[in-house]
Amino acid sequence: MASTTVGRGRPATGPARRRGMLGWFDPRGRRLGGLAFILNRLTGLGLVVYLYLHLMILSLLVQGPNAWDDFVDIALSPPFLALDVFLLTGMLIHGLNGIRVGLVGLGLVASRQKALFIAAMVIAAFVALVGALRIFGGE
Amino acid sequence: MTTTLPRQPFHVAIVGGGGTGGALAHDLVLRGFRVTLVERGELTSGTTGRHHGLLHSGARYAVKDRESAVECIEEREILRRVCPGTFEENDGLFVAITDEDVAYEPLFFESCLASGIPARRVSREEALRLEPHLNPDLKMAVQVPDATMDAMRMPLRFFASAKAGGAIIRPWTLVTELLIHDRLVSGIRVRDLTNGVEEEIRADLVVNATGPWAEQLAVMAGCDVPIRPSPGVLLAVRGRWCNMVVNRLHPSGDGDIVVPQRGLSVVGTSSWVVEDPDDLGVPEDHVERMYAEGAKMIPAIRTAERRAAWSAARPLIGSRDAESGRELSRTFKCFDHRETDGVEGFVTISGGKGTTLRAMAETTADVICRKVAVEAPCQTREVVTLPHTAYYAS
Amino acid sequence: MTETVTDARTTRVVVSRRKEGDDHGALRYDTFDVAVGPRTTILDALVAIRRELDPTLTFRHSCFHASCGTCGMRVDGREGLACVTPVPAGDEVTVEPLGNLPVVSDLVVDMDAFYDDFDDAGRPLVRASETIPGAARAEGVDELERYEDCIECGICLSACPVAGSDPRYVGPAALAAAWRVVEEPRGLDPGPVVRLMDDEQAAWRCHLAWECSEACPSGVDPAAAIMRLRRSAVGARAHRLFSFGGNR
Repeated sequence: MASTTVGRGRPATGPARRRGMLGWFDPRGRRLGGLAFILNRLTGLGLVVYLYLHLMILSLLVQGPNAWDDFVDIALSPPFLALDVFLLTGMLIHGLNGIRVGLVGLGLVASRQKALFIAAMVIAAFVALVGALRIFGGE
Repeated sequence: MTTTLPRQPFHVAIVGGGGTGGALAHDLVLRGFRVTLVERGELTSGTTGRHHGLLHSGARYAVKDRESAVECIEEREILRRVCPGTFEENDGLFVAITDEDVAYEPLFFESCLASGIPARRVSREEALRLEPHLNPDLKMAVQVPDATMDAMRMPLRFFASAKAGGAIIRPWTLVTELLIHDRLVSGIRVRDLTNGVEEEIRADLVVNATGPWAEQLAVMAGCDVPIRPSPGVLLAVRGRWCNMVVNRLHPSGDGDIVVPQRGLSVVGTSSWVVEDPDDLGVPEDHVERMYAEGAKMIPAIRTAERRAAWSAARPLIGSRDAESGRELSRTFKCFDHRETDGVEGFVTISGGKGTTLRAMAETTADVICRKVAVEAPCQTREVVTLPHTAYYAS
Repeated sequence: MTETVTDARTTRVVVSRRKEGDDHGALRYDTFDVAVGPRTTILDALVAIRRELDPTLTFRHSCFHASCGTCGMRVDGREGLACVTPVPAGDEVTVEPLGNLPVVSDLVVDMDAFYDDFDDAGRPLVRASETIPGAARAEGVDELERYEDCIECGICLSACPVAGSDPRYVGPAALAAAWRVVEEPRGLDPGPVVRLMDDEQAAWRCHLAWECSEACPSGVDPAAAIMRLRRSAVGARAHRLFSFGGNR
C-alpha cells in the first residue's frame, strides 16, 4: 500500500542569524577577548584616519612657510595637544596589543593571551600617562 | 558487508525517536522495509539522552534479574562490534564499603559468573591504585566489564545508518492521531511543528516506540500497555573523579553508581512512579541523596560543584500496583496488539534500557516480519553502524 | 502574545519564534510568563512553556547535563547551554537561537552546516584519558579512554565575530578538532589535516577575538588550538620549503 510522505524529511531552513561586519563592533555579550578585538579594530581604524590627516597636513608644506606656521600655532593649542595624547594612546594600545596578536597568533604563546592583553594595556596606560605629562608639560 | 534484500512494498511508521526507534529503523531498513520515523522533538530527547551513559556489563542485575543481566552482557559485546570507537572501555568496579557489602559480595560474584559476566576480585589497595579518588575506607572491590557510552551519540549512529539506508527520519513531527478504522491501524496523522502543516502518513504497520509515553500513544488506538513511567534523579558534578564506572556493591539502591562523562561525574539514581512522563520534577531531597550516596564511594563528590540535576523516566513494564518501580523488571517486551487488544497493524515495544536498544529492535523487527509473513533475517549483529556525524551529512 | 503558567516568582521569557510558511518565515518574539524557582534553568522554562502554554515551541535538547551539546542558545545575547543556564534574576530574559547557522524553526538551528566543516577534521570520538594522575590501568584494560571534550554544540561558531561576517570560515570547532588530530593522532596521519586547515578560510581567518574559548561550555579552548594549529602549519610549510629532494 502506497503511503504519502512529504520529501526526505529535511525541513526547510531560514537564513542564519549573522551579526555581520557591524557585529565586530558590538560589545554586548562580549568578554575580555572580544573587547580586545573591538579595541584593536577601533584603534586600527583611528590610526588609518590619522595617517590620512597627517599626509594632508604635511601637504601644507607645499604651500610655503606661512601656511605651515599657521598650522603650528594650532598644533600647540591645548585641544590639539589632547588629540596628540589620544593618538599616542591609540598607537600604544594598537602596537602593544599587536605584539600580543603576533605572539599568540603564530602559536608561540597560545595560552597566556589574557595575561598578555592585560600586561599590554597596563604598559600602554603607563606610557600614555608619562607621554601626556610630557606633552602638556611643554617639552 | 551488508546484503540489501529486494525492497519490500511494506511501509513501517515508527513513532518515537529514542534509541529503540533508531535501532529499529536501522534493522528494518536492512531487512528491506520502507521506514518513516517521527519524533515530536529532538532525537533522544525523551528518556534515551538523559541516562548516565552506563554500557551495562549486566552485573547490576546479576542477582535479582538474571534475564536482564544476560541480555546486557550479550548486547555489550555486540555493541562494541557494531559501534567501534564509541565507548570508553575502562571497565567498572563494584566497591564494598561496609561489612554488609562484604557479606553480599560472594552472592554477587557468583551471580555474575553464572550470568556470563567476567568478574575479578580486587583488593582495597589495588582498587585505590586504579581509582585514587575512591573512599579509602573501602574494603574490597569486584572488577566487571562496565563501560561508558555517550547517551545520545551512540543511538545517533543507528539513526545515521538508517537514514543512509533510506529511512525517512522526521524530528519535530508530532503524532496527533492514529489512523484507525474497524480495529485496523493504517497509519498516523502528524503535525510538522516547523511549519504547522498536518498530513497523513499511511503505513502497513505502526510501531509505538515512545518509551514512557507508550500508554499515551496506545490509547489512541484503544489499546492498553502496562507501562508505568518511573523517573529517577541524576546529578552531574564538575570533575572527572573516576575513569572506571564506580558502583556500590549492594542490592540496588539510590545513588549507587558514578559514571564519568567527559569532565563531569554523573551520580545516579533514585526511583518513583508517576502518571505523566512530561512532568517529572526534580525532588531536591533526591539530589541530596545523590550527593550523600555518591560521596560514600567517592568522597570528593560531596563538595564538588553541581553542574546539573535532572530526572529521567524509565519505561517499566509490569503491574500497575508497583510502588517504587524498583520491583518491576528492567527487561523489554514487544506487544502485538492483535493478540493483546484485537487491533491489527499496531505494535508496541517498550521497557528495556539504553544498552539493549539493538536487541529490542531485533525482537520487534522479528515480530513485524512474522505479522507480514516476510522472511528477512536480522543483520544488526554484524553490520557496523556509521559514525554519528554521518546523520548530519547533507 | 503573553500567557501565564502559575503565580510563583514569575519571569517573562521572551522567545524568538520562526515557522516556515508563517509570514514567509519571518522572525517574531513571543512572551511567556513562567513560574521559576531558585534552580530553574532556561531549558526547564522552555519545557514548561511547551507543556503548558504552546506545544508548537521547538527547541533542541536531550541530556540535561551539558554532555550532548544540543541545547545551545543565546540567552540575553550570550551563548550558553540552556540546560545549565539558570533563569537570571530579574523580570525578563530573552532566548534566541544560535547565530551563524540556518534557523529551522524557533530555537532549532540546522547542524548540517556545522558538521560539514567539523567532519573534515576527521577526529575520532574517543581519546586517551590522563585525567587522574597516578591511576593505574585495570587488568585487561589496554588504555584508559575518555570522550573528546568537544560536545559539538556550535556555541563557539555562534560566538565568533568572524563567522558572523563570513559564512565560508570553517569555524573554531572544526579547527579545534583538527588540532586534536595533530596533538593525538591515534593512528591517523595529521599531515593532510594540517594542510587542509592551512587555508585563508580556516586557520588564518581567526582574528583572536577569543570569544569561542570563553563561551565553550566544555573546556575545549578552540582559540588556543587554532594558534597551535597555525604553528604546526608554519612548521610544515618551512619543512616543505627547506627539505631537499622535493617531497610535498
